[in-house]
Amino acid sequence: MSVQASPIATTSSTRRALDRLTWTIAPGVPFVIVLLIWIAATDILQPSKETLPPVSDVLWSIKELALSGQLATNVVASLYRLLLGSILGIITGLIGGVIVGLNRKLAESLNPIVVFFNAISGIVWLPLMITWLGIGTALAVFLIWNTVFFIVFQNAALGVQLVPEVYEQSVRALGGGRWHTMRTVILPGALPYILTGVRTGLGFGWRALIAAELVGAATGLGTMIFDAAEYHRSDIIVAGCLIIGVIAIAMDRWLLLPIERRTVRRWGLVADAEKER
Amino acid sequence: MAQPQKPAKRRSLWTTADGRRFIAGAAVLAVILYGQTVYGMATASGRLDPSLRNATGPSNVIVVLDFMPDRFHNERVAQYGTFAGRDGSLNRMRLRYVSPEKLRALSEVAWISRIEPIK
Amino acid sequence: MSVVGAEHVPAARPMPVVTGWAVAARQLRGVKILFPFIVLVAIWWAIQAVGNFPDRVLVSPQRVFDTMVLLVSRGVIAEYVSTSLKIIGIATAISIVIGVPIGFAVGANRYAARSLEGFLRFLQGVSGIAWLPLIIIWFGFTHTTTLAVVIYTLIVPIIFNTMIGARAIPEHYGLALRSLGASRLRLITDVYLPGALPSIVVGLRLGMGYGWRALIAAEMLVRQGGLGDLIFGARTSGQIDRIIGGMIIIGTLYLLIDRLLVQPIENLTIARWGVLRK
Repeated sequence: MSVQASPIATTSSTRRALDRLTWTIAPGVPFVIVLLIWIAATDILQPSKETLPPVSDVLWSIKELALSGQLATNVVASLYRLLLGSILGIITGLIGGVIVGLNRKLAESLNPIVVFFNAISGIVWLPLMITWLGIGTALAVFLIWNTVFFIVFQNAALGVQLVPEVYEQSVRALGGGRWHTMRTVILPGALPYILTGVRTGLGFGWRALIAAELVGAATGLGTMIFDAAEYHRSDIIVAGCLIIGVIAIAMDRWLLLPIERRTVRRWGLVADAEKER
Repeated sequence: MAQPQKPAKRRSLWTTADGRRFIAGAAVLAVILYGQTVYGMATASGRLDPSLRNATGPSNVIVVLDFMPDRFHNERVAQYGTFAGRDGSLNRMRLRYVSPEKLRALSEVAWISRIEPIK
Repeated sequence: MSVVGAEHVPAARPMPVVTGWAVAARQLRGVKILFPFIVLVAIWWAIQAVGNFPDRVLVSPQRVFDTMVLLVSRGVIAEYVSTSLKIIGIATAISIVIGVPIGFAVGANRYAARSLEGFLRFLQGVSGIAWLPLIIIWFGFTHTTTLAVVIYTLIVPIIFNTMIGARAIPEHYGLALRSLGASRLRLITDVYLPGALPSIVVGLRLGMGYGWRALIAAEMLVRQGGLGDLIFGARTSGQIDRIIGGMIIIGTLYLLIDRLLVQPIENLTIARWGVLRK
């Protein structure tokens, strides 16, 4: 527990229950506040539907999109690309990261290149890739791969490098082969970092995907927003943004975080508070 | 905070490696942002035709570039006066009613080759 | 343990003092950094020479270099680079001025911090670019729009990290100073600000990484100058040399800002005030 400044510690059970209640509902508060401001602004300022769509319009368009199946189509299209690009990125990032992590000289010589390409990862490749790959799934998959790869790569390399050498050496001394050492020492040891990399990478990948769809106009959620913009349908724009955010949070909290926690806990590896990011 | 300490070594930006790196970075940034502007200002006198040096009222000039202009360059030049067509070739642009201040500013643009009066 | 996001690569060792051996060592290190790039350019050149691709698909390194030199001499690069740098600069300044106080104000209270944390995560999930169409409707195709998107992207990590930094300060520091009679202002300047500063600077560095990318992306849509506009516009006219040249400039500029400006600040701050474990 943190060191609270209250000199008198009243730990009645009601107080604790109240604390717990506040703790649970706290995350919802800003959303409620924003909602209230939104409703108030719509009422008082009476902006055009274009500038600030009313809450009801946004909810209505969400319902419409869901019913017409458009929402599902776009979400699935986006997620499919995310999945494809991410799997490629994770596999290549893992392989690359482990190889580089094991080989110090290689890591040092490749480092400048990795840093540079990391600096231009993602959307910066868009113009070049549109020229080479055209607009479509290949483009989006490349951009996601690019984003995810560098993150997983760096985290995997870091994780491998940080596995204390003594573990590896002791297993080798007892007669373990290269592959055996890899499986039992290095990979589990690097796992927390790898999983953090996967989790971070997917978050970045999702955002890069939306950016790519907006600018490159393939199909998916980004395109849905982009098309809506052409017709000045701000309600769809806002609806799309909210859905993007919800998917991002859902993906992170309910899919990736549990995977990370459970795997790390299973192996009894040290997980720390930074994971929450 | 037990033992008395020697006075701390004076650490200005110069003494640390990171400080030097920052100064180098700031210098590079300054050159990137202002290098060409400064160069333009330094070479301004060579650019402006002598007869235009002491213009007191609006002048009519020909802006000469030593390359074929992009739309980018046309747009920038047109901001200094009233665009009045080309003077023979595409890289010679006529500008009318260029005020003395705009003329001076025009003479400081690094990628302009010469500014001649319209004869 | 720090999450390796986009930019967290171990910092280079500080430069050795100027002696004979050390000079040689420094030169060697410069070569070591450049060597992989030389190899890369050589591979690029080879691919282009052998593959004989049409100009609208791939051009040689020489051609890219020539084109870039040309564009620099014609003032194009200077202006586009200036636009991008100015926007990121202003966005950074505004984000710090607004974000740090918010981070402190909210970080002070456990419940407020937990409140805002979830909201910030949500905002981060909806990238600034997703809001871009709406912001274009508000501000049009102007630099204000680009600036708004970059600020949105930059400010979230700054607020986040300010909150973390503020919360990590052990409470007895502040209490000790208060008991000695320090005013509220003193408290801020002598305890909270220095204490949170390392974390804030880390947040700044992260934010600038995200912000730079958001800037390029926004410029591609808003098309009012800037490097994103440069490379996206070059695509329509099939000018691969400009696209590749622009990409190299984008990467190099970011590295310049990050390694020569922001990272030194981070190191100096940590050296001076930090108990931050990297």
